[in-house]
Amino acid sequence: MKKLYLILICGWFLYPPMLSHASLIEEKKCASCHRLTKKENEKKGPDLFYAGNKFKSPWLEKYLQNPVTLRKAGTIHNPGFLKGERENNHPSLSKEDAGKITQELMQMTLPDLPVEELPDPLNKGQKAKTKYEFERTFSCISCHQSLNLAGKPRGGISGPSLVDAGNRLQANWVAVWLKNPKTFSEKSRMPVYKMDDETRLRFTRFIMTLKNEGIR
Amino acid sequence: MRAFDKLMSKISLLSVFKYAILITAIGVSGCGEKQAEKPPPPPLKTESPPPLSLKEEVSPVIVTAKTRETYQWYCAQCHGIKGKGDGINAKFLTVPPRNHTKAEYLETRTDEQLFQAIKFGGLSVGRAPCMPAWGNTLSDSTIHELVRYIRELCQCEAL
Repeated sequence: MKKLYLILICGWFLYPPMLSHASLIEEKKCASCHRLTKKENEKKGPDLFYAGNKFKSPWLEKYLQNPVTLRKAGTIHNPGFLKGERENNHPSLSKEDAGKITQELMQMTLPDLPVEELPDPLNKGQKAKTKYEFERTFSCISCHQSLNLAGKPRGGISGPSLVDAGNRLQANWVAVWLKNPKTFSEKSRMPVYKMDDETRLRFTRFIMTLKNEGIR
Repeated sequence: MRAFDKLMSKISLLSVFKYAILITAIGVSGCGEKQAEKPPPPPLKTESPPPLSLKEEVSPVIVTAKTRETYQWYCAQCHGIKGKGDGINAKFLTVPPRNHTKAEYLETRTDEQLFQAIKFGGLSVGRAPCMPAWGNTLSDSTIHELVRYIRELCQCEAL
């Protein structure tokens, strides 16, 4: 029995993530700004306990090396948020560290997250219709930057920019967020939309078309 | 063959025309670029019976600390911390968010119109589409409290 315990304990410590990535997240003190579990109180940085559901790995690795501003007014729990006073930028990591932390973050997922079946990519007509609804019916543009017809960023800044959402986010995460944001976060400043499934999945497809490559 | 070509060119012209109308509508009336604000529409006629949501509200509506907190959490993003229409999104919107401290406009609106605007969004009362619908986020009683809070901010009532 003692041998079994010994093997289990050694196995835990020798498990690769325990040896490298987890310690790097700890060493970089990510938890001082980000929630790494849902049980913690809200923190000023975006939650990371579902990072593996939310982000696309190549974007995350690039971001950690060269952080760009996604929230011009800072994050919603930042005390200066309503005054547009952003706190310090996210620290930049070396390529090696960014790669290791990305691997670890991509393992942080929620159990039993629904898998949404997305429709085919939008044709021009559907895209134009959805853009119209994005701006007028659901007013998303009031809080989120997106691209206008001339390929220029436009829109409010209280929500994260969606200009490069197609490279940053996973489509399934967007679809689940639009259905029920509380799956991820108890408190958001965004209105809850009870979209029918067809609209919600079409919106997901539309958001995934927004990419930096579209900037002119 | 010529007749067929003519027909096809008419069809494609028609589709281009349809897209042009849609694109113009998006470009002109979105919320992300500045444009001059239209004058407020005249107040709704009050001859019709009051809507159900007001009839149901029997007890007096009281503004509490929770109401102010709700305003700060959701509304202040656009309407500003003090309700002056200068929130962090304000300068990025086509139509400036309403200044809730100014009575000139707000006294031309009934409480029910303010309730509708918050619950169903700006378009529902003929106003800017920048104002989203909060009816799935806030309860009717919270929205009634917010209407009362706006009345506090403008120090005005519906004329």
